[in-house]
Amino acid sequence: MSEDAVDVEELDDLEGGPSYCTYTDYDHGVAVEELPATGEDADGPEAAVFDELRAVEDPEMPISVVDLGLIYSVTVADGHATVTMTLTYTGCPARDYLQEDVRQAAARAAGVDSAEVELVWSPEWNLEMVTEAGKADLREFGVSV
Amino acid sequence: MTLEGPDDLSDRERAAVEAELRCLGDDEFVTAERYTEWQVRGPTLEADIAVANIAQDELGHARLWYDLLEAFGHDQVDLIWERDPADFRHATLAERPYETGDWADPVLRGYLYDTYERLRVEALSESAYAPIADRVEKVLGEEEYHREHAHNWLERLCEDADGRRRVQAALDRLFPHALTLFARTDREEAVVDTGVRPVPLSELRREWRNVVTPFLGSLGLEVPVADHEALLPAARGRDGDHTDAWESLYNEFTFTYEQLGRDSAPALMPEPGEADADV
Repeated sequence: MSEDAVDVEELDDLEGGPSYCTYTDYDHGVAVEELPATGEDADGPEAAVFDELRAVEDPEMPISVVDLGLIYSVTVADGHATVTMTLTYTGCPARDYLQEDVRQAAARAAGVDSAEVELVWSPEWNLEMVTEAGKADLREFGVSV
Repeated sequence: MTLEGPDDLSDRERAAVEAELRCLGDDEFVTAERYTEWQVRGPTLEADIAVANIAQDELGHARLWYDLLEAFGHDQVDLIWERDPADFRHATLAERPYETGDWADPVLRGYLYDTYERLRVEALSESAYAPIADRVEKVLGEEEYHREHAHNWLERLCEDADGRRRVQAALDRLFPHALTLFARTDREEAVVDTGVRPVPLSELRREWRNVVTPFLGSLGLEVPVADHEALLPAARGRDGDHTDAWESLYNEFTFTYEQLGRDSAPALMPEPGEADADV
């Protein structure tokens, strides 16, 4: 920005005065190709890890972490599983709980001796990460998606 | 050049990353601590919920930045509960007490802070340290609502003379402290020339004044125009020199830890990776 530039975007909403909170529906965001990882094409111990992860539910809603789109990748090398995942919200109070659930699930899979979880934040999670099966689970629960 | 993780850093780069992270993390943590004083005291139920939610967001962001310091071997005890208060690097804006019962104070403070935060975090999208850049998009996505909340309340408050007078008083009181957000980090030269934050603070400050001055002016407020050097308060925060309000705030959030004689941060469950895999 040049020295005298005014940030127009920040001034835009001045015209109509204060606006009411409009957060009654959610921005769907942009679909990121190849994300989330759902394990559809996985085989061997990686497929076994995905099977275990599908049994791990979000602590607040009856939806698996796989269908919620939190899992970004699973690799298994020499019996050690690495799960890369994100969270919907940085302030998530269940962060450690969920990470540990995921780690233990991965470690239970056939062909896996040990597991670790790596937390990543980009690409940013958004509603497009939820699978069709996940959307059906959320609707069933009463969440409009 | 991209620095992928802690092992790729020279001593100088690591010191630069640490210096930047301490400013980011401490600002967020202390700002959130102050916000919690408004919970159940906001002017409307909706305002209570909003400020509680913003505080939670800022704590989430503090954790994102502190996580990266933990990757250097620090832990929650030395980052928060047992840290010497003089080692905190937040700007004095974060620690100043609220004017009792004056809702204009947290609203205006939030506006000044969140406008700054957007600019600094945007600058970090180009950080040479990949773990910092990885967090930027997520933080920015959560910050947009904070500015919208502040904008709406500022417009509402400035619609009548009494409200505007109170926002003006908060502006006169807080603007100098907001300028400490742009005070140098402990390793400022290295932060910029290693590309940890490729944009110098002077440029961020200029951009920030170019945003806040016309916006606040359009609400009928008088924004200080003097050079920052003439406006800055005696204590700058970023160098560990804090205002008198800091000691009591520090004592408050460490009170329970002290009272219970803790020497570690208790957790309800083991940290990820520390539990037995066979559980």
